[in-house]
Amino acid sequence: MTLTEFIQIIMGFIGSLGFAILFNIRGKRLLFASLGGLLSWLLFVLLGNFLADEALRYFIVAMIISAYAEVMARILKTPTTTFIATSIIPLVPGSALYYTMAHAFEGDAENFIAKAIYTLQLSCALALGVVVVTAFTRLVYRLKEKRGHH
Amino acid sequence: MRKIFNCIMDIGEQMLICGAEVHRVEDSINRMCAAFGAERSDVFIITSSMVVTVYMPDESVYTQTRRIKGIGTDIEKLHGLNRLSREICSEKLTPEQIRSEFREILNLRSYPLWVECIAYMAVAAAFAVFFGGGLSDAAVALVIGCIVRFIVLIADKASMNKIFTKFLCSFAVSSLALVGMKLGFIDSIDKAVIGNIMLLIPGVGLTNGLRDLFAGDSIAGLLRLIEAVLTALAIAAGYFLFVVTMGGALK
Repeated sequence: MTLTEFIQIIMGFIGSLGFAILFNIRGKRLLFASLGGLLSWLLFVLLGNFLADEALRYFIVAMIISAYAEVMARILKTPTTTFIATSIIPLVPGSALYYTMAHAFEGDAENFIAKAIYTLQLSCALALGVVVVTAFTRLVYRLKEKRGHH
Repeated sequence: MRKIFNCIMDIGEQMLICGAEVHRVEDSINRMCAAFGAERSDVFIITSSMVVTVYMPDESVYTQTRRIKGIGTDIEKLHGLNRLSREICSEKLTPEQIRSEFREILNLRSYPLWVECIAYMAVAAAFAVFFGGGLSDAAVALVIGCIVRFIVLIADKASMNKIFTKFLCSFAVSSLALVGMKLGFIDSIDKAVIGNIMLLIPGVGLTNGLRDLFAGDSIAGLLRLIEAVLTALAIAAGYFLFVVTMGGALK
């Protein structure tokens, strides 16, 4: 891990903490919600040692983060949204979106399309990772509930 | 039952306003109705409206609709509402008990303005550095972040359309960054703008929309997605207005 990456992880944590405050999260939940942001970028950086493809890394990190959110939500008895909304913050492709716009208005078609596709890839990978875990958790709970009735 | 049904609707409505997913609210309402002995409950919720009908064993039927305006994110209230709805399911509360607990939850504080202001500044500065900016980029992003909070505050006071607010913020952010550049604090506006764009970007809306969509709540999911896309477009439009009016000064 380089110093730049270390600084990034800390900044990701601060960013998540800021959003957690804006979402009015308090107490113990504030800590674990912001830690999710730290975790997400830490994982992204660590996975970079094995995987070059960023979209794939986004997908994997999003899945792990959602699992973390589901577990924390059960432990602290609170909605999963608390941890998902804050943990994904460092993964939101703000920079890619900005450069997409910038290239568009510079009339730089080639770079615009490349950046736009990149932004889309990242957002889709992120959302899909979250969705996969959400769907899986719901399936498990539905099965559990059904068994409970019989 | 009528009193209880009112309470259940209020709880559901507030959950939605505080940023719960549609699936979650539908589930909670169904469970609460069942806890009070409803034979059947039909719940239909999209992000802007809810329709609920309960069928009681004595053949009485109740229906209510609610129009939902302005969804935000208030996790503290959501946490309280979630707890209340669990309590309702596990132990029978009287309508009066529910009412008083509900009122307590609505009165939960949010963070004071100055804390929110610091949060805006911290987010903007942190992401300016996160995306490769230096200390000076962070400093400019920080100042702009504070100003953005006040723009949002004024826009909310004027009950301005949320998407238009994003448009204004995006324009203001780029222009202020340009001022910072002209004053010689930063070499390019990129990082300072990106830090602040992170404040405006609808990342949560997008993920929640997709979550709803894939959970089978297609209409609610699509509405949220469209809102997220429109917001992103509004940010781009704000930036566009900036480039058209002041872009020449960038070079």
